[in-house]
Amino acid sequence: MEYFVQQTINALSVGGEYALLALGLAIVFSIMNLVNFAHGELITLGGYAMLFSAAWFVSDPIYLLPICVLAATGAAILFERVAFRPVRNAPETTGLLTAFGVSIVVQNALLIFVATRPKPVPIPDWMQGTIQIAGLHLPMVQVLETSCTVVAATGLILLLTKTNLGLAMRAAAKDFTVVRLMGIKADRVILGAFAVSGFLAGLAAVFILARRGAVDPMMGFSPVLKAFVACVLGGFGSLLGAAVGGLSLGMLEVLLQATLPSEVAGFRDAIVFLLVGAVLIWRPTGLLGKRVELGDKE
Amino acid sequence: MGLVSATLLRSLAPICLLIAIAGLVMSIGEPYQIRVAYIFFINLTAVFALQIYMGGTGHASFGHAAFQGIAAYSVAILMTPLALKRLLIPDAPFGLAAVHLGAVPSILIALVLTGVIAYIVGLAISRLGGVAAEIATLAFLVIVHVIFTNWIELFRGPRAFYGIPSISNLYWGLGAAIIALLIAKLFRDSPYGVQLRAASDNLLAARAMGVPVERLRLLAWTLSGIVMGMAGILLATYLGTIAPSSFYFNQTFLIMAMLLLGGMRSVSGALCGTLVISIGSELTRSLESGPVIAGIDLPAMFGLTGFFLGAIIVLVMSFRREGLLGGEEFEDLFRQWKLKRKSAADETSADAPAKQEA
Amino acid sequence: MLQLTDVSVSYGPIQAVRNVSATVEQGEIVALLGPNGAGKTSLVSSIVGIIPVSSGSVGFDGEDITRTPVESIVRKGLTLTPEGRRVFAGLSVAENLRLGASTQSDRAAVEETLETYLEMFPILRERYHQTATTLSGGEQQMLAIARSLMSRPRMLMLDEPSLGLAPRVVERIFEHIVELKQSGLTMLVVEQNATEALAFADRAYVLASGKLVFEGAASELASSDRLMEAYLGTGVD
Repeated sequence: MEYFVQQTINALSVGGEYALLALGLAIVFSIMNLVNFAHGELITLGGYAMLFSAAWFVSDPIYLLPICVLAATGAAILFERVAFRPVRNAPETTGLLTAFGVSIVVQNALLIFVATRPKPVPIPDWMQGTIQIAGLHLPMVQVLETSCTVVAATGLILLLTKTNLGLAMRAAAKDFTVVRLMGIKADRVILGAFAVSGFLAGLAAVFILARRGAVDPMMGFSPVLKAFVACVLGGFGSLLGAAVGGLSLGMLEVLLQATLPSEVAGFRDAIVFLLVGAVLIWRPTGLLGKRVELGDKE
Repeated sequence: MGLVSATLLRSLAPICLLIAIAGLVMSIGEPYQIRVAYIFFINLTAVFALQIYMGGTGHASFGHAAFQGIAAYSVAILMTPLALKRLLIPDAPFGLAAVHLGAVPSILIALVLTGVIAYIVGLAISRLGGVAAEIATLAFLVIVHVIFTNWIELFRGPRAFYGIPSISNLYWGLGAAIIALLIAKLFRDSPYGVQLRAASDNLLAARAMGVPVERLRLLAWTLSGIVMGMAGILLATYLGTIAPSSFYFNQTFLIMAMLLLGGMRSVSGALCGTLVISIGSELTRSLESGPVIAGIDLPAMFGLTGFFLGAIIVLVMSFRREGLLGGEEFEDLFRQWKLKRKSAADETSADAPAKQEA
Repeated sequence: MLQLTDVSVSYGPIQAVRNVSATVEQGEIVALLGPNGAGKTSLVSSIVGIIPVSSGSVGFDGEDITRTPVESIVRKGLTLTPEGRRVFAGLSVAENLRLGASTQSDRAAVEETLETYLEMFPILRERYHQTATTLSGGEQQMLAIARSLMSRPRMLMLDEPSLGLAPRVVERIFEHIVELKQSGLTMLVVEQNATEALAFADRAYVLASGKLVFEGAASELASSDRLMEAYLGTGVD
């Protein structure tokens, strides 16, 4: 029983993490057709912001958590300003390759100016421990991450349905030109999309760092690749698809983790991707997708 | 004039350029320069391979380095002498520890195997299309990398696989690059290539005209996978040592930057970008690291080269999306230049009498 | 109110609109007519800034708006209801209308405007919480018009409001256009339905292959079979 609950909460937290990242990718993609390859660098930069803040002026690690979220949000906005604006109306592949370039630049800048080896980041002690709920011992990080994901998803739904900016973002995903015809500034909608995606990435980054306890320049790649795959699995560009894809992927991963014999445990990611590939051969548009060509707007 | 002979004729200038590079390096080069030229030919072959797929479909592929790895490991496993293999991979499955083949069968098997794998993977990728296909290529790269690093009995895991007979020399590189160039050009100008490019410009229109888009994507993907395999074989049979990290991100973004800089829509663009980046990275390396140690990846330099490559991709995408050559071939550019000069000459001669009257 | 001077619009090497000069005065309804592919949509899209004007200038209320971005033009009081309605799929009627009022900060005024147009288009009140895509074509057109009006424009451009609608529905839409005119709104209406459009328009421009081939009073064009035949091909079928 305890084992089952533990594994479930583990699956939910991993799935939630992928969902947070996938949602950020999907929001940006749905509005401006940009596959933000540099999304992983938001996580990385959030981590480095924690590292530097801890070294310079922050003594209590609890303050590092909001710093991480803020840094990721700021980095997302900065990427849009500096790199993605010139390719705003370009074909998808151009945007994707630009983001790929940004990702390489950031990784290598960190390699040159900071270090190639992982550096430890201070994490509040209470995040590392376990929490007792209804007589079960559960890791604090996983419980927190699951609840944070729920709160963030609720917040996102409220933002998208109750605020003017959220409405404009949903409308822009359907028809950006007409949104501008409503007198809504394109820059504001895009800024909003990047800020939200950066915020969600920052949130995910907090938990990624709490688990690994260290930063390195390449750390963003692996989680974001999972988020990409989650998006494709759910149906690219759909927010619900991103959430569903993220959760399914996380659960699949935890399931494999728990059941795979140790000799083949190293192949876990490859097996996950192959399974997703099999799903896509069966349903090329993803679990929730229904488009003719994936990634095309309706 | 048939397609083949026309392509041969149109490729004469770039082929002469490649031969001249090889000749120059062989006649006056030190071993270091020969090595640099050889690496250039490997990358050129790889970039031509990538051009076949990306130039045809207009979709990015992040997975091609995996094909290079598959072919390289195939020849490594087949060609390495038994004595060494007993040391390196004593527990290889399928009885491969006891297999030793000559160069020609090994290379042929490596190419066929790469082609078969490319075909199977391509079945999925060509059906997806669009962004999903691009992400799938990335997932493919990761899958292959995970297999290389975890299937220790067959690939030695993350450690280097060494002792592969270094049978190739600069002329192999030259030959492979020329073959890749011709395949890329032939494919580009063939009816398949033209239809595929049309489909990447306007998918719906091409579908409506009955272009079998998925099948053509699959063809381009498989063909480019095989050519990429050639680049892998070149690498393995020259350096004699390979490791999974040689076929991962660094290689992916190196050849991506080379292709994008010149312009992915033309074979000449691929050549141009590879030439510029190869020269450029040699310059930064010699500027930055003082005494040069032979080798591709100098750890101290890695960040800087990567930084430049990333910056090149961002800048090209922002300011000159079609690359240096704007998606044109050399001969087309030459023809346009001649036309422009001719019309300029016509204008001046037409202006001349008017001026006299004034 | 609106002043076009030598406006041209190009898509790469292809010129869709060539040197068009035209005006729309305060309180007028002007019809912009012409066959399919004449460049009507290109012209109105370029006026409002969706596609760039390649040469010439556009003035609105004496101010040059040739290079002004779409959203700023709308904020100045000139807007367009695009061809094909383009209501936001997946959003409710209420949300579509709320987005239309994005430029307005005075909440009370927004409520008042909303009430005015729900009064004018009662069907929208009935369908207020339904998703826009569940509406019929005519209802979507009314929603699209109401959505444009929520920004309280001083001048409205309508691109093919009758497109794809049944004759009875077209009639209702045109009645609403007359109603809007009576309320003092200035309008430029793009139409292929020349005869009907000329019935309510004050003046008309006819565009053919991107060039202006006729300008004058609507009644002059409507009463001359020769002109109608020459420019609009009516009566041939």
